[in-house]
Amino acid sequence: MNYPFWDIPILGSGWVIGIIAIFHVMISQFAVGGGMYLPLAERKAQRMADPYLREEWLKQLVRHSKFFLLVTGIYGTISGVGIWFAIGLTNPEATSTLIHNFVFGWAMEWVFFLVELATAAVYYYTWNRIDAKLHLVVGWVYAGASIATLVIINGILTFMLTPGDTWLAVAGTGHEAGNFWNAFFNPTYWPSLLLRSCVCCALAGIWALITASRIDGDKHPALKISMVQWSVKWLVPSFVAMPFLMIWYYMMVPASQQALLSLGIDTINAGTFSAVTRMALVIIVTSATIIGVAYFLAYRSPVDFNLSHAMAVLLLALIATGAGEYSREMLRKPYVIGHWMFSNSVRVPHVDRLNRDGYLTRSEWVWNGSSSSYSHGEAIFRGECGSCHTLNGYRPLAELLAGRDRANIGNFITMLHEYKADSPYRKFMPPMVGTRQDVDDLTDYLNAQVNPKLTQVVQK
Amino acid sequence: MTSKTIYDWIDERLGLSELAAFARHKTVPVHSQSFWYYWGGIALFLFLVQCFTGVLLLVYYRPGAEAYESVRQITFVMHFGWLIRSAHAWSANLMIFAILVHMFSVYFMKAYRKPREFGWLSGMALLGIASVFGFSGYLLPMDELSYFATKVGLEIPTAIPWVGSAIANMLRGGPEVGEFTVQRFFALHVVVLPAIFVPLLAFHLWLVQRHGNAVPPSIEALPPEQRESMPFMPNFLRKDLAMWLVSLNILALLASVFPWSLGKQADSLVPAPAGIHPEWYFMSPFEMLKLLGMVKWLQGEPGEIAGILLFTLGIVLWILIPFYDTKKDSGQRARAANYFGLLAIFALLATTVIGYWTIR
Repeated sequence: MNYPFWDIPILGSGWVIGIIAIFHVMISQFAVGGGMYLPLAERKAQRMADPYLREEWLKQLVRHSKFFLLVTGIYGTISGVGIWFAIGLTNPEATSTLIHNFVFGWAMEWVFFLVELATAAVYYYTWNRIDAKLHLVVGWVYAGASIATLVIINGILTFMLTPGDTWLAVAGTGHEAGNFWNAFFNPTYWPSLLLRSCVCCALAGIWALITASRIDGDKHPALKISMVQWSVKWLVPSFVAMPFLMIWYYMMVPASQQALLSLGIDTINAGTFSAVTRMALVIIVTSATIIGVAYFLAYRSPVDFNLSHAMAVLLLALIATGAGEYSREMLRKPYVIGHWMFSNSVRVPHVDRLNRDGYLTRSEWVWNGSSSSYSHGEAIFRGECGSCHTLNGYRPLAELLAGRDRANIGNFITMLHEYKADSPYRKFMPPMVGTRQDVDDLTDYLNAQVNPKLTQVVQK
Repeated sequence: MTSKTIYDWIDERLGLSELAAFARHKTVPVHSQSFWYYWGGIALFLFLVQCFTGVLLLVYYRPGAEAYESVRQITFVMHFGWLIRSAHAWSANLMIFAILVHMFSVYFMKAYRKPREFGWLSGMALLGIASVFGFSGYLLPMDELSYFATKVGLEIPTAIPWVGSAIANMLRGGPEVGEFTVQRFFALHVVVLPAIFVPLLAFHLWLVQRHGNAVPPSIEALPPEQRESMPFMPNFLRKDLAMWLVSLNILALLASVFPWSLGKQADSLVPAPAGIHPEWYFMSPFEMLKLLGMVKWLQGEPGEIAGILLFTLGIVLWILIPFYDTKKDSGQRARAANYFGLLAIFALLATTVIGYWTIR
């Protein structure tokens, strides 16, 4: 391990990324969908026959674009940088692998991102200041740049789940970047891109309902009715295509990951891993509710549709997004990069060497001998378990191992170490790598946490 | 054309137009506290969820000696069994919560006053039966926690002088909680209680239709032309259904993220594990009894009897409030009723918090 470990007690480092990422996805996908919504809405307004309604629409779009600029330009940007910061600290090995493969991809994304930021600001500040046609062109440039960011980042995100056989064949040889396009257009690229595009459209409509709900329906009924109903229509493509795209996506993930997705159908065992199925259920229920509320409360009675209704829809979208991102992350287990790097940053081909030489032999940041402030076993815990478990918080090992004595804990770790082909834990947990001594040291450390009183008595 | 013919055919026989006309003319008051009107509907929705999930559980649940094994199969083997069981358990808890919110909103809106006394009394009876539903359903999985919590709960009646032991034995089906108790509780849970609850619920709903929604005294004092209202059909119904959808989402989220698990199989020969406690809605009376038992001159049996008496007295006073606070003007009795309500909320919350705080 070439990097220090970032220890986040109770919450776990994964949730630091998770919390930032769920909100970031909500905003960034709004940035993409909203990027199409604004010029299309502006074009629609410009073509309206009724001059009064046209003016009202354009005034409303000025208000909406201000809201759009503030939300995407400030929160979206800050949270995007936050994700970089958090993944660099939480999983530096995987981040390093991604940068080595996709450095030009990311460079392209950052160029489009800068265009996106600049045009979003120009779009808002040039309302009624430049020619209407030119203003619309600015909107289309923004839309193109924001779609390009999605097209690129989707390749990198899907690579982590399904890097593809071509890339895996050269992984570790130093020629990985030569297979950039194979890695980029990996097996789940297209279904994921279409799924995310649909979500972007839906989020554009949902966020637009926030500003549209604030229109006074008594004073401007025509504006409110047309704006709310048009925004609701943005949810339609997503809810028509989503079930088919989800099936396509499911068919493209490896069989082991498909098994993980269906693990929770008949059991709540296997801890949080059966949660993937449960989260998928949450997505289905919340999505169905969004379409129901959007149709009955917004489309059928747009004048009465108020901010609290719109916030409820947004909250449901947040739950669906959170559940979706959580499922996507969990689906990768036991890997962080499919079949190449385990979720605790151990590369698949390094397992034999680490088992022979010891887990900490090349981890100078974590373990520098007996002068370290913590034990050998704790260093192994931090490295091998800490990316998914905490001691007493999220997925707490003290609780999960409660009731086991030292021998029992040792047997469990040995089972993870041996990682036999029929082990049920292979579905979602990486192997415990290291020498026999490493296994014993980790056992001692965990036993001292799970049975502190007993350990003290034995030591006396 | 065809649909109109079918409608006319049914209408001629069932009088649907009269129902539609009634729904069209029915209105619901609109004011700053209209939000509280939804809670009765939410409780009703959650009851319907329990009926649906309960019937599905009934297909696989086996009362008696195999109770634990059947629940284990439902939770860990059958497709989506865990979901049905979790939805059933969570909706039960959420329903009790919704009924409590509904009860306190009715109380502070003074919606128990003439002519709604029967609405209040039937609502209280429904809450009582819902609690017994909860208590009887809690034992059915027969895991360690439910077994010992029921055992402790069934010891409470033994404090009643002379007849206490007989009542407890009758409920248990013997001197100890066992498979006969499960059998009795199962019969109670799926046959006896629904047979009482459903007609009472119909009566309660009929009263709501008959007398309409009550308004708080401050709104009632306004002249009729200053009061606002909205049509029940479709405006209020649409909002009510939206609240049902919100409830469904909360239920789905809780059932999925926190699925109802199953502890170890109950074993009467092992000592009770630490942390045994009743369900949250019984925590308050449980803690009150415990606290009274700690008073120096009430330790032991006198404390238990005093606790039961005090709690019974509180409930009786609460039920009889429509016959005490009767006048529309906010006189001394109305204020006293308000203080009594606030005291009840404080006592319930405080004892529940203390109860959970002191679980060992």
